[in-house]
Amino acid sequence: MKNVLRTMRAQRGWSQAELAERLGVSRQTVNSIETERYEPSLTLAFRIASLFGERIEALFTPDPPH
Amino acid sequence: MSHPRPFHSIANRWRIVTSFSLWGATYVGVRLLLDTPVAGGWRAALALVPLPFFLWLLVELIRALRVMDELERRIQLEALAVAFPLSLVLFMTLALLEIALPLDPANWSYRHIWPFLTIFYATGLTIARRRYQ
Repeated sequence: MKNVLRTMRAQRGWSQAELAERLGVSRQTVNSIETERYEPSLTLAFRIASLFGERIEALFTPDPPH
Repeated sequence: MSHPRPFHSIANRWRIVTSFSLWGATYVGVRLLLDTPVAGGWRAALALVPLPFFLWLLVELIRALRVMDELERRIQLEALAVAFPLSLVLFMTLALLEIALPLDPANWSYRHIWPFLTIFYATGLTIARRRYQ
């Protein structure tokens, strides 16, 4: 799943640690999501979308079916 | 909505390190004492001395698990998913070898085998962490 989390975070001038603090997760979690090694749960995805004031679809794009 | 806190909060870490250190220290101390001629009746009681510290560690680990974020929980799960089958294979293989061969208890006993379990867990943890780095 692709995401634009890094771009959105950079637009707000937040560090990974700052974003992690706001989301209540570890910095490693933010980094893993940004590098697309980890796909967040729906709960966390909603929390991220809510924090950025966006819809989930604006932040996360599912991979095309094989 | 309450958010989970990162696993490595200072209070969590301090309690885990303290309980782990006390457990480890008492284990080593008891292990050394049991090599000396302690009175027979006290040997069993002495062997149980590390147990309360381990129970404290267990409580702290469960408490830490409850406040971990979702990625850290997944990492722990994947670490255990590696460690548990490896432990199972080790015990099953040793069980068969014990039947097939006369294994020397001086080299193959509980005190020799349990460190393997910690090695398996550490291996699983390393693999899982690298995957999400």
